[in-house]
Amino acid sequence: MSDKDMADANMMPERGVSRRAFIKGVIAAGAAVSSTAYLFRAPIFGQPGAPGAVERLITLNVNGQMRRVDVMKQETLAMTLRYKLGLTGTKLGCDRSECGACTVLIDDVPHYSCSILTHSVRGRKVVTIEGLAGADGTLHPVQQGVVEEQGFQCAFCMPGFVMAAVGFLKVNPNPTRAELAHGVSGNLCRCQDYDKILTAFMRGAEILRRA
Amino acid sequence: MAVIHDMMPAFELFQPTSIADTLTLLGRYRGDAWVMAGGLDSFDWLKDRIKRPRYVVDIGGVAELKGIRASGAGLEIGAGTTLTEVVRHPVVKEKFGILLEAAEAAASPQIRNQGTIGGNVSQDTRCWYYRAGWSCYRAGGNICYADTPTAINREHAIFDADRCVAVSPSDTAPALIALDAKMVIRNLEGERVVDAENYFIGPGIDITRMNILQPGDLLTAIRIPDTWAGAQFYFEKIADRKVWDFPLVNVASAMVANQSAIQRIRLALNGVAAHPKRLVEVEAAVTGKPRNEQTAEMAGRLAIAGAQPLQHNGYKLPLVKNLVKRAIRGVEGSWTS
Amino acid sequence: MAEYKLIGKNYTTPDLVAKVTGKAKYAEDYRAEGMLFCKLLLSPMPHARVRNIDAREALAMPGVKAILTADELPPPPPPPAPPPGQPAVTQPPNENALTNEPVYQGEPILAVAAVDETTAADAIERIVLDLEPLPFAVDPLDSLRPNGPNARLEGNTYINRELKSLKWTEKDFSDATDGRLPMGEAPDTFSIGDLEAGFKQADLVLDETFLTQSTTHHPLETRTAMATWQNGKLHLYCSTQSTVQTVGNVARWVGIKPEDVVLISEFTGGGFGSKIPGSQTMAIPALLSKKTGQPVMMRISREEEHYIGRARAGVQARARVGFRKDGRITAIDVFTIQDSGPYGAQGDYRNVGIMASLAFQPMAMRWRGVTVLTNTPPRAPQRAPGGQQMNGIFDPIVSKAARKLGIDQVEIRRVNAPSGKATFGPPDPKTGKQGYVTSAFVREALDKGAELFGWEAKKQYSGKRRGSKARGIGVSVSPFNAGSTGFDGLLIIRPDGMLQVQSGVGNLGTHSVIDVTRVAAEMLDMPWDRCEVQFGNTSKHLPWTCVSAGSQTTHAMTRANYAAAMDAKKKLQEIAAKDLGGRAEDYDIGNQRVFRKGSPGSGLTFAQAARRAIQLGGVYDGHELPKDINAFTTRSATALAGTGLMGVARDNYPHDGNTLSHVVAFAEVEVDVETGALRIVEYATVADVGTVLHPHSLSGQVFGGSMLGIGHAISQRWLYDRQYGMPLAKRFHYNGPPTILDAPANVKFAALNIADPETPVGARGVGESPVGAGYAAILTALADALGDDVFRRTPVTPDLILASLELGHGSHDALTTNV
Repeated sequence: MSDKDMADANMMPERGVSRRAFIKGVIAAGAAVSSTAYLFRAPIFGQPGAPGAVERLITLNVNGQMRRVDVMKQETLAMTLRYKLGLTGTKLGCDRSECGACTVLIDDVPHYSCSILTHSVRGRKVVTIEGLAGADGTLHPVQQGVVEEQGFQCAFCMPGFVMAAVGFLKVNPNPTRAELAHGVSGNLCRCQDYDKILTAFMRGAEILRRA
Repeated sequence: MAVIHDMMPAFELFQPTSIADTLTLLGRYRGDAWVMAGGLDSFDWLKDRIKRPRYVVDIGGVAELKGIRASGAGLEIGAGTTLTEVVRHPVVKEKFGILLEAAEAAASPQIRNQGTIGGNVSQDTRCWYYRAGWSCYRAGGNICYADTPTAINREHAIFDADRCVAVSPSDTAPALIALDAKMVIRNLEGERVVDAENYFIGPGIDITRMNILQPGDLLTAIRIPDTWAGAQFYFEKIADRKVWDFPLVNVASAMVANQSAIQRIRLALNGVAAHPKRLVEVEAAVTGKPRNEQTAEMAGRLAIAGAQPLQHNGYKLPLVKNLVKRAIRGVEGSWTS
Repeated sequence: MAEYKLIGKNYTTPDLVAKVTGKAKYAEDYRAEGMLFCKLLLSPMPHARVRNIDAREALAMPGVKAILTADELPPPPPPPAPPPGQPAVTQPPNENALTNEPVYQGEPILAVAAVDETTAADAIERIVLDLEPLPFAVDPLDSLRPNGPNARLEGNTYINRELKSLKWTEKDFSDATDGRLPMGEAPDTFSIGDLEAGFKQADLVLDETFLTQSTTHHPLETRTAMATWQNGKLHLYCSTQSTVQTVGNVARWVGIKPEDVVLISEFTGGGFGSKIPGSQTMAIPALLSKKTGQPVMMRISREEEHYIGRARAGVQARARVGFRKDGRITAIDVFTIQDSGPYGAQGDYRNVGIMASLAFQPMAMRWRGVTVLTNTPPRAPQRAPGGQQMNGIFDPIVSKAARKLGIDQVEIRRVNAPSGKATFGPPDPKTGKQGYVTSAFVREALDKGAELFGWEAKKQYSGKRRGSKARGIGVSVSPFNAGSTGFDGLLIIRPDGMLQVQSGVGNLGTHSVIDVTRVAAEMLDMPWDRCEVQFGNTSKHLPWTCVSAGSQTTHAMTRANYAAAMDAKKKLQEIAAKDLGGRAEDYDIGNQRVFRKGSPGSGLTFAQAARRAIQLGGVYDGHELPKDINAFTTRSATALAGTGLMGVARDNYPHDGNTLSHVVAFAEVEVDVETGALRIVEYATVADVGTVLHPHSLSGQVFGGSMLGIGHAISQRWLYDRQYGMPLAKRFHYNGPPTILDAPANVKFAALNIADPETPVGARGVGESPVGAGYAAILTALADALGDDVFRRTPVTPDLILASLELGHGSHDALTTNV
């Protein structure tokens, strides 16, 4: 991401020189694949040639793009997305498959990306929150529902919640409110405005059906 | 060595694509190998750096382990089939609704999308002392931290404790026992098939394991005979939260009854012992009896015979008693207002 | 009520698209060239002294860059100055980011920075720590027993602000029978009126013991922080509730001047009181970055958050309450024991008394309390600190009295409701007079709520059973603090005609960071699409702002923004008068113009006026500033001077009374008496919070706050093994925050929308009062369904219900904490 993108993320035009000055030197996520050393270590036990042995350099299909990436054996998808591919929209709330903030779609199915090895998603389609909106910025109907209803508060849970809802609606496009609640029940919100979350997603489902 | 959590140590990873390759790896590395299916239980141990296998064998890519197919008079569910696939399968819904209910009661949607039925039945106990890495009996030590006068043991066992008071947390296990399922286990020497109720073991048999799998073994499938297809089923799980929680107690039963009497029944509980507990005496006592409040009452009382509560889990006695009653006579639905 | 164009209207906050597309950056989303990662070594013991740290092997590992220990931190802040006339106090070392005397299991002892997290974690494992175990206590009553353990070497409680050892006698304990709370020496007390006379008037006296649990705040974003130094300045990317008010703390914790801190916190993933002023542990990456010369990321895990992430102070209480036949409360005598964790005393237990005196307006009252230190994680205010506990302690008693006296549960609350400038709290020691609220419309809220909920119709279900399902209905009145005064507003009307409002409020999810700026836009009659809000980064030049806590922001910062807007309006009028003649008061503003009254097409556009302001300089463009604004605002305004017409002012508006809000809640529950399973059938709230600023935010805050209380009622736990002093419920599935399926399916909400008379736009805060309302509406409904005395502690989980109904006792009494 560029400085400009960071300013966009804040939805405010950049003002003043000092901000630009301090951002200088800070490389935002997208450019960090080669510079952030997160988890880059050689494996300790090599067993080349054994059945099922895995290579470290793999290709992932993320948000419709093929990405080459060097992945440790014990690396989870959430870590690869956040620290190797610069996709920090996927959040880590617990890293233990308990809160859902890291939810992404794998072959259209919601998964906790903190609890699946990156090596397990080779050859599968991964979609993160960054992959939902259209290239022109048109929001996905579920995102649009959130905007229209001013859903969520701190929104740290929101990317995961939205991905869970999108995945659920692929299978159940016309749910009741109770069915939708069951569908997204693998996600925790600590601001706990669950009522408005459901209202926003019901609105999103409605927009999705119209689309 | 200072303790640190939440960072998986390095391991060598294998992702075989066939059962044969999997068995080769498990045979080669034996006790050094860790079988990972959905991984939901495994990651906990690995991230806490308490279990530190050298070799992780991820069986998620073994197609032979997945899917639900007809098998003689019944169904065969690959051990690597996800809980969501079980929940959505039309034959499961039509004939074995109790398994659908149990699978749907487990964990959360995302976990059911990834967690397998083999993993759900084979998962380790959630006793927090053991899971925190305390050196208890089950971890190879010589004390049970959960069975002291001041221990926090609301979740723990009321039956069959032997040094360790941990419980099995599986929701699908009692349903499979009620359905008289068979567990298919393979290793390099061959295949063996055991009754579901004999798959699980208590601390008296082996205090470090929850099931009979030995190094080199792989649970490959679960077979459900048609014996109980379309029977009257009852499943109920009581937990603190309505999603993402382990059962305080759950109950599963399959019953064939006519207007005058219960003709045959299988009944199992979980959350009460280190293994899911089939209630053989209750089954025998109610067979031939009318399906009414009196029989249910008798079944409930019998179900808790021999129970030994700990400091903080005495409530499990009335809970078991009431759940067994409900399994026999049913329960009224919620109010509508 | 005034007709507003923006206030009271729904709108889309300008940060929402960034949030919903994943572009919003929280602390862990920042990266920097050469960024290192650090990991913490946590105390394995509940109380110990570090005798030696051998990190040689760790430091020799490739990729390990540095270690940071407690010895390298600036000294912790000194104890607060004593009140006038009192001697300076001796206190134990205050909390610091790292320690050589850990006072709870999980307290950070040291940190290691390395090229990656795996290396840092491996390095931690190679460190050899020599610890001397020290005595510990994890239960207040255990510590108060004769010869009971003290959590600190210096003592176990604060007496006159000094840490002392307090032990009760055997008799104190043996005097308490039937599971009632023992009541020994209580260092803290206040009284209102004549207690004995109050009880003499009572027709019914209830004497009840209740336990409210401690709980970790657990915002979904942990307190991760990343630090880097540039040109001698610390750039800290962190998670905090309060943008501006965190700067001074960071400076203190790191040992630098506030001017040398650039704090970036554009988005914060919740706080609930746990991140009010940031977190001391943010000093760790800052100091490691200084030491290594490289940026350092400290990613805090959920388990670490459980330790260092703050917790609500649990309160055990025994309350005697006297009622007249008509339900009027004649006297309250309440005794409280608070679990304060290992460091400073919390105010929760005192708030129990203060809030009870407001909610129920007792004719006489005595509050007594003792705060006890334990070797459990540090406490901090959690959303409605003490208010929530008060509702749990008192609402079941009031509903029980209603049943005994044959009075409706709503009616007994109406009889005792605060109204108008209701008095509350301890009398002033000098004047003997109590303080009072700015306004209270609780009866109106009860009436509206009863109608919304359908109370009269639902009474037919009260306590009824069908099969194994029991139904109950409940109600609660919950007051809490809702505003402060005296902060600064700062805005610029730019030469391009845009209104730029500087917001120093934290973006923690309440939307108040933006909502309060709409007051400035409203008062200047600016269309919202011609406004920009600057926030989340102190290099953007923000004004002195209240902490985003204590439900202060809406009240404090609507006033400050109102003041800044009025200052800008005055300057617009003055510029117009200078250029176009006449007096300033001949001019009005509207439609982005300043014009002569009566001819809206005349005068100057705001853009023209802004250009004139820059030409005029002086006060008009910020080159001359008011003397009464905070130095922080002066620095920011000076940096912005010359960019347009500046509105800058301190909130000096009069304010008669204390600002508190009230929320009333109604609940219907269904409990299966065979299994203890419960379901919330319906939930309704009415908010008496003054003028509504943003309906979507308000309803969300009220329901979200309610859910926090509901979680305390039905599932949230905090568990300790007493023998080893170790926490057990560190994971979500063990400590049980409520899920979307535990939330009531049928939710109703209304706001009274009656302006508070003591503040310009009439808006008060709302963050906290819903918490106690949600908590106690569920508890009173549960008691209605199950009968009185079924539970004496929370959470009311299935085991507790079953043990009480079927075994005749709860799984745990009200005297044992943390089980």
